[in-house]
Amino acid sequence: MAGLPLLVVQHPLGGEPPESVARRAQQALEQLASLLGDPAAAVPTGAIPSAPEAPDLSLPDDPEAVLAEFVARQWCDGLPIIPPTAARVGAMLGGAPPDRALGALPPLWRPATLEKLAVNAVMAGCEPAAFPVLVAAVQAMLDPAFNLYGVQATTHPVAPLVIVHGPVAARIGVHAGSGCFGPGFRANATIGRALRLILMNVGGAWPGRHDMATQGSPAKFAYCIAERVDASPWGPWRAEDAVTVFGGEPPHNVNDHVSTTAAGILATVADTAVSLGSNVGWFLAQSQLLLVLGPEHAATIAADGFTRADVQRHVFEHARLPLRTLKLGGMWGMQDWPAWLSAVRDDDALLPQVPSPDDVFVLVAGGPGKHSAVVPNCTFSRAVSRPLAPPG
Amino acid sequence: MARIRVLTPVGAVRSETLVAPPLPGDLAGRTVGFIDNTKHNFDRLADELGALLRARHGVTAVLRRRKANAAVAAPPELIAELAKACDVVFAGSGD
Repeated sequence: MAGLPLLVVQHPLGGEPPESVARRAQQALEQLASLLGDPAAAVPTGAIPSAPEAPDLSLPDDPEAVLAEFVARQWCDGLPIIPPTAARVGAMLGGAPPDRALGALPPLWRPATLEKLAVNAVMAGCEPAAFPVLVAAVQAMLDPAFNLYGVQATTHPVAPLVIVHGPVAARIGVHAGSGCFGPGFRANATIGRALRLILMNVGGAWPGRHDMATQGSPAKFAYCIAERVDASPWGPWRAEDAVTVFGGEPPHNVNDHVSTTAAGILATVADTAVSLGSNVGWFLAQSQLLLVLGPEHAATIAADGFTRADVQRHVFEHARLPLRTLKLGGMWGMQDWPAWLSAVRDDDALLPQVPSPDDVFVLVAGGPGKHSAVVPNCTFSRAVSRPLAPPG
Repeated sequence: MARIRVLTPVGAVRSETLVAPPLPGDLAGRTVGFIDNTKHNFDRLADELGALLRARHGVTAVLRRRKANAAVAAPPELIAELAKACDVVFAGSGD
């Protein structure tokens, strides 16, 4: 919107009483009066730079000095970095063409060249063997179905969860066992972190400036797991070397220590999957749920004869909220629903949160214990997968 | 102390060419449009502004169009319709 005349409406607008909205309209009108006929308010034409150029730097060869400079320039997430020297970036590229651009990353629409990806990967501490995963993840995020502009700019705390599929996950050390969403594993931590640095440095989404997340989430530091194929009763979600990006909320815990049946476990899953405060359901066509079953819960469910498709359908059928609950808050009045759903008048009708069973994804990850996780998506981004390929 | 050269992680600046006509000197006899971003109270804000523009600036017609939801861009046909029908369009952004 650089260069366009703006009327600034005092925040917040949502939730304000009518007289407050009227006051904001009055304030906007006063601003408009000063813009009309004012040549200074005319839209300039020609090249409009979106930000000043950021140069390469010569810095003292000292980790503290490098960190201080990158922090001061808002070039990192606050954690120490590996200095991205040309030699390290070259090793990360592994012969891939540095100028090859995968596309333009929103919100500032700057080109995602392989060199920029490699610089951020070096900073994050990635090993070169993980670079193809990173490239595939960026390619997946650039698919229009992922709506990266929305994911980057929203007030919602969404972060792209990277799921690494296939034998490559074990080869590069992506952890799928105990504590897989947490710390301790270089590949998970650095692939996730590199993606975040790319979103900040190439896309330009800095907290409070283009990334407008009200609170954000710890998942924005790093959010990367693999499938626990050896503990999945149904095999992998995807068998081939591939990456899925899922614009998710942080994991919502599913604690069920007592159920000994599929119906019992999935009742707890379904209850966890629906809440008035989750975004899922409000923009129905884009809503998806990711169910990350711990191995023990998965085994209990499978022992009752449930296939993966049965789990998807059961969650689809049971993760529902009554219309009367939806009317209490959340995004009531802003929902983007198909006509058949908007036509429901029975307050006791249980309404689906995702459009179909296919929008419930099921994989197995984690270690011993009676916990699973539901990851609701942000409701305006759909999961996208990409096969791994050499980045050249 | 020895020095090292580090590459910038920041994406290259992208320049864009924006062409839009200046705002008119006044709105008398004009048609104005609103793109409702679906956020709460934007419809009320547009109602208020539309009424004020008619009463105080002589605007003759106000068109209101609504995006599918807040997280997607307005569709091209909606933009084309407003561009054809309106002299000035207000697009809601934020919440």
